[in-house]
Amino acid sequence: MRSWISAAVVGVVLALLPFAVGSYILGLLVFGFYYAVFAMSWDLLFGFAGEVNFGPSFLIGVGAYAAALLNHYFNTPIPLCLVAAAVAAVVAGLILAVPALRLTGPYFGLITLVAVLLLQTFIVLYSGITGGEIGLDLPDVFANGEVRANYWIALAFMSISGAILFGLSRSAVGLILQASGQDRIEAAALGYNVTKHKLAAFCISALFSGLAGAMLIFSQGTASVGLVVDIAVGVQAIIGAVLGGRRTIFGAAIGAIFLVAAQELLRPLGQLSIFVVSAFALLVILFFPGGFLGAVGALGGVLGRSAR
Amino acid sequence: MIKNIAIAAAVGASLVSAGAALAADPIKIGVIAEESAISGVGIPNGAKIAADEINAAGGINGRMIEIVQYDDHNSAADAVRAFQRAANEDHVSAVIASYISEVVLALEPWSGRLHLPMITPGAASNVITARIKEDYDHLKYTFHGYLTSTELADIVCNAAKDQLVTGLHMQTAVVVSEDAAWTTPLDEEYLKCLPQVGLKVLDHIRLSPDTTDFTPIWNKVEGEKPDVIITGISHVGVQPTVQWQQQQVPIPMYGISSQATSSTFWKDTNGAAQGITFNLQSAPDTPVTPVTIPFAKKYKERYGIDPGYAAYTSYDDVYIIAEAIKRAGSTDPDKLVEAMEQTDHVGTIGRETFLGRDTSSPHGLRTGPGYITGLMVEWNDGKQVTVWPQGVAEGKLIFPSFVKIKQTSAQ
Amino acid sequence: MQALQILIDGFAISSLYALGAIGFTLIFGVCGVLNLSHGAIMVTAAVAAWATADAWHAGTYGGALIGVAAGTILALATYALVVRPIQRSRAIPAEEKEIFILTSTLLWGIMLQEAIAYFFTDNPKTVRPLLPGVVEILGVRTPWNEVLTAAISWAAIGLVWLLIHRTKRGKQLLAAAINPRGLTLLGFELENIYVLVWGLYGVLAGIAGVLLGAFLGVSSANIGTLTASAFSVVVLGGLGSVTGSLVAAYVVGYLETVTAYLVAPSIRSVPVLLLLVAVVYTRPQGLLGRR
Repeated sequence: MRSWISAAVVGVVLALLPFAVGSYILGLLVFGFYYAVFAMSWDLLFGFAGEVNFGPSFLIGVGAYAAALLNHYFNTPIPLCLVAAAVAAVVAGLILAVPALRLTGPYFGLITLVAVLLLQTFIVLYSGITGGEIGLDLPDVFANGEVRANYWIALAFMSISGAILFGLSRSAVGLILQASGQDRIEAAALGYNVTKHKLAAFCISALFSGLAGAMLIFSQGTASVGLVVDIAVGVQAIIGAVLGGRRTIFGAAIGAIFLVAAQELLRPLGQLSIFVVSAFALLVILFFPGGFLGAVGALGGVLGRSAR
Repeated sequence: MIKNIAIAAAVGASLVSAGAALAADPIKIGVIAEESAISGVGIPNGAKIAADEINAAGGINGRMIEIVQYDDHNSAADAVRAFQRAANEDHVSAVIASYISEVVLALEPWSGRLHLPMITPGAASNVITARIKEDYDHLKYTFHGYLTSTELADIVCNAAKDQLVTGLHMQTAVVVSEDAAWTTPLDEEYLKCLPQVGLKVLDHIRLSPDTTDFTPIWNKVEGEKPDVIITGISHVGVQPTVQWQQQQVPIPMYGISSQATSSTFWKDTNGAAQGITFNLQSAPDTPVTPVTIPFAKKYKERYGIDPGYAAYTSYDDVYIIAEAIKRAGSTDPDKLVEAMEQTDHVGTIGRETFLGRDTSSPHGLRTGPGYITGLMVEWNDGKQVTVWPQGVAEGKLIFPSFVKIKQTSAQ
Repeated sequence: MQALQILIDGFAISSLYALGAIGFTLIFGVCGVLNLSHGAIMVTAAVAAWATADAWHAGTYGGALIGVAAGTILALATYALVVRPIQRSRAIPAEEKEIFILTSTLLWGIMLQEAIAYFFTDNPKTVRPLLPGVVEILGVRTPWNEVLTAAISWAAIGLVWLLIHRTKRGKQLLAAAINPRGLTLLGFELENIYVLVWGLYGVLAGIAGVLLGAFLGVSSANIGTLTASAFSVVVLGGLGSVTGSLVAAYVVGYLETVTAYLVAPSIRSVPVLLLLVAVVYTRPQGLLGRR
């Protein structure tokens, strides 16, 4: 109950933010919010289903490009593109799920990595259609690029996705997923259909990843490999989730937004900004493996104890 | 009580500083580039020299120029965010952006949406100006401060005609280029203009910009026995050159090689650059215009190395923007665009004027005699030596010992 | 003629892949660690060799030695600063240690990549060839450097094999890979074994990096591809199997070379990716791996 209240408070603050800050910060947060959804989707799959997905950008990219191709060539209206993105991403998720059910650990991780590389290679190979490394420019963007509207759209999307993902993680389905993730044999022995639940996890993670990818490109106006397919995109989502605290869903959102904000804040450092952010993330992971939320929880525990 | 005094002091201080700021309100120019790349860091470096010169001469109608730098880490997404920051947070009047076509093309629509004039000192893609042709009203804020791939190909062809066909009686060529946005129109033009100047194109090899092993490619080219390899490479450069030299491929390389333009190329290749001939629009010892050599000297004094190719044009672009602001009498975007269209500036690469709305490449640079004609430069003994055109050449075309030039005697 | 070219070029590049992969698989086999900063260590070695050859007047050979030393030191640092703290951490549950090591080595690799780009820019660098000039092998003009790359790679691989199969330390290493618990029960210090393996890995990665720098040239931008390459070779061959990595390196090297020569240079890496997908779907333990 307490987490819902704090989430609501945060939500209200975020919703009112556009009246207090400039459009640059809002633009940044738009990016951050979509990355938050990438990270939360990853956390559902890893934290609960126990599947180490190295290539979230495979799912993100498939969703984004499905939407981009439709919009660029057929001028399909945005809502339909989003539907197409969701469908395409779920299909991609099923494709990844098949080997996942037969493989463990590093082998599955490799498949996800290879999936991203293959997607990237094919996009660049068929650059005549896909725009290659330049990407596709999109005739339509959300609210004609107006920052405040984009901000609220991104915030709403992140909130709804976050609520659903969090709710799932705490539900019976989530608990079963967690059990299957940690000990599939035991879970199966208890009578749960591990396969069905893992498939579900893949589909849900894919749905939100692909949808978020599509929404991201409609907020930027272009779809390119560097924006939604590159390994770096997935890496940032994973690091965000681990940094924020895995298996918390909220932590993933916090971690992802933090990473995006930190990189921008450190922009005056020029080239070294990525170095500093990575070093910081590494230190947090080494000393606070529970991530931000883990550290806060531990602090709360300490304070709670000393208060008695 | 103390709290109230503190608040009053803070308010007072901010009013004073605001007033002070209004008095000498600088004109900000944003510079977005990849600072960990040699070609990239030249862009802010060159811009700063121009800004200092203009400020020393009194600024623009008394207002000083301030260069605001952003590192885009060679990422279109980063560049877009930097652009948004430049427009919304830092309130720049114009942006000088990048040398990578992918990045510039991602920024172009934002230049339109945010009504912020932008000029690129180094990207070559034809699409930049093609888009302005298609949608002038929205995209008129973008200017192409470098040559398009097609124009670059034409310069190479002109030079090849003089030096290779007439001078060395060469007859055949193989085009080797990287698979990237800017080379598609480049290769198209190569395939058209090379036969026109007398070089038959035997093959056209496109390689992935991620290639690290060029042995198969060099072996293939050697098997086809052309007289010359015409290049279109930018992402790659050090590696193919080193491997070309190690394998002792007996065919010279001539054309576009962006990495070869950097002053560290000799060291990066441990001297394998000997004999590599490449296109530049300006060179440190060549008086393309009266301002070329002074700029190159200043750059070398200040930064210790020769300017990269985009540093020259970035320097020019600051002047172009400054002159346009003076002409327009304001930094209002639409007035600034109109004023920039009237640019007629003698910069480091030649006389810079922009093509009009009615041409096929609006806001592109005009090329040709009297405007921008380009140079061919060759690496010789650790130095970049201009070898074409005749009027400004400092040396002749030489080749390393393993390169065999076919001399057809009965010509 | 072309067949001979393919044979020779494929051999050289495969030998280099093999050298890089063997270190990677040793670390996984003995320590259970997938080191995602592998590419960064190789490139650091190469850049160190290039930089010191001129800056410290070390010359070609001195630079190469310094490069290998740099690789070794960096590998040991990776173990001490990044991997060991996680392995020993009590705050991280055992089944999650893997993902933490993966993420941490990934971050470490990114830090190294950015540091290299900051100090040396991302312009590719070439290490001076150990032997300049060319030699004719059955009519194919081959740079001496290429021949040396293959020769040194095999010498290193041979030495590693000797070390593992013929020395006492090596046998302890093998034992640690199969049953670490058993080894400690017999009174051996696992920690010593780990330090030895990481040091050995550093030497191998350093040599591979310097050779790569001399043969093809390296840049901080290549780091990701190098790690992905080693990872693919090792999984194809079977995680933990040194012989498997060797075989897989040649499969990958030749597949790439043949594609580049006979199909098109721009899609060089595609058949390998497809092969990888096929193998992981049908025989996930790799060619010679144990499940």
